[in-house]
Amino acid sequence: MRNDARGERENGWRPPAGASLLERLRVTGRSRPAADPDVAAHLRALLGAGLAEDVGTTDGDGRIVVTKERLTRALSCPVHRSVDRFGERAFTLPLACGALMDVLFRQIVTVGGIGDPMADALDALGMDDHQDALVAWIGGLSAAESAELRAEVERQSRGLSERWPALEPSWLPRTQESMRVLLAGGAVELSARADLAIGRPAADEASVALVEVKSGARRPDHRDDVAFYALVEALRSPAPPFAVATYYSRTGEIDVVPVTHELLVEAARRCLAGTRVLAGLTARPDDASWCTACASVRPPADRAADALAVDRGIAAPSCGVPVLSLPHGQAA
Amino acid sequence: MSDRAGLATAGLLAPPVHEVAPDVLDRVRAALVAGVTDATTGLVPGDVIELGLPQLRRARYRPESLALPDEPFAWKPAFVRRSLGLELVRACASGRFRGPADAVVPVADHAVEEWRRTGRRTFHWEPWLAGLGRGGRSVVLAEAVAWATPLWTTFDWVGLAGSARLPAPDDVWTCPTPRPLRLKGRAEVRVGSAADRPSLVSVASGCPGDGWRDELAFLALVAALAGPGHPAVSRVVGLWPESGYRLVVDVDESALTGAVDRVVDAVAVTADTAEPVAVG
Repeated sequence: MRNDARGERENGWRPPAGASLLERLRVTGRSRPAADPDVAAHLRALLGAGLAEDVGTTDGDGRIVVTKERLTRALSCPVHRSVDRFGERAFTLPLACGALMDVLFRQIVTVGGIGDPMADALDALGMDDHQDALVAWIGGLSAAESAELRAEVERQSRGLSERWPALEPSWLPRTQESMRVLLAGGAVELSARADLAIGRPAADEASVALVEVKSGARRPDHRDDVAFYALVEALRSPAPPFAVATYYSRTGEIDVVPVTHELLVEAARRCLAGTRVLAGLTARPDDASWCTACASVRPPADRAADALAVDRGIAAPSCGVPVLSLPHGQAA
Repeated sequence: MSDRAGLATAGLLAPPVHEVAPDVLDRVRAALVAGVTDATTGLVPGDVIELGLPQLRRARYRPESLALPDEPFAWKPAFVRRSLGLELVRACASGRFRGPADAVVPVADHAVEEWRRTGRRTFHWEPWLAGLGRGGRSVVLAEAVAWATPLWTTFDWVGLAGSARLPAPDDVWTCPTPRPLRLKGRAEVRVGSAADRPSLVSVASGCPGDGWRDELAFLALVAALAGPGHPAVSRVVGLWPESGYRLVVDVDESALTGAVDRVVDAVAVTADTAEPVAVG
């Protein structure tokens, strides 16, 4: 795991902290979308038209549960599916660090502080039966690996403690916000869980922001992940969220994406393509164009979502070189 | 308070849509006893069959799970979030806190302190929570905040002041059949007095299933059976926060009959998983 503190000192950039961090989240530079039943109806129609009949005729007798991880894996081209190993759950130090940072972020938001980061995080993970295998794996690390993991968790948790202020209770902060939407008569379930939601759900104007915490480096699919969150929230609530964001606990960067109609439509199209793959349906001509890793190296003119790619901060390459705006080290 | 919460609250407090005459309850009770008697014929005489909303849902959506042995009880965050979450909403409704996130630490601390001082467990989980480390405790508190926040934002609790009881008291009624059946109705909130045809609020996880109407009506059915002489519940509001649903059943004979049929179906499914009486 790579330490980014040196780079931070060298280039003079300082991660947002305290009030400025919250300001980055609250003020997106765009007006907040109004609640518009027509938008939700349009999104449902878009998804429904591509799923209803076909999914109903698949052989599977169970509901197709669509998550951000499954979408990304389903839409990866065979090369990147193999290279990036999306969806594989083999334990690694970065994966362990991510799980530990998730619970520490939750702790900071809920009780406002952390004691011994490793002890607190392992204690928290121990509350979840599903994490038993990971906790055991961490317990079995060699002394050197364990020390490396501890050092990184302590460094990142120090950053979290220094940068994340107490959230105003009237913003109604809640962690691990679970969101679900049924489609195609219940044959498909979109399922998402945001690390943090703030804002009181309103009927007239978008008032909720969703935050995902990542302990690793920026990756192209992170924006797809939070766009998926925006889609699910837009379908389950009267108003869409006004922003979705990814917070990078390793560097302190926050990537805030204002939610627009275009973003929601793009997320719905991507979701539809991925769900069709997950359902084992016949591929459509443009299904192969959704591999995020490929998209980051392909001239944007080749993509149907040119405008969105620019909006996402994915610069247009002129020579086939990946030019994600802030590549840092390895991914988690 | 948002317009949305105001509308939801007004809906909760509105006069009943349907009349439910006393003879309706007599008919419903008779139908239930007859149906359960039929469904349990052939069962080994034994312990009381307990049936609440969770069992009703399992019988319809996951009947195979009824045959699985119950796991030994052990506290987990999921078992605390409802009772602590309701206490958070209650504390916020009293005006002492600005939201569940504001209330959770002082409310949990107070519960544990009271248990230590008096030895009395108001919520039952106090000793368990007191024994947790900092990380585990934060998970429990975070789960309660996440559970409470949608309930807190759905209604105007100032507008409900004095009329909302949370947690709602459990309703229990035992069906006088050869193999006794105990129905347990557990709503989260009861609004209005028993004399005024109260409304109930029920909070569930996930997405509503196709039997949601009968499930909400089940709570009204048990309340009616458990409180003879009291007027029937006027409506039951169901919240499924994860999927954003707020659904309402206005209680009438048809709704209660639907709940009876659902109970009889659930008992039949339960009976299918039990050992029959040996014949011959």
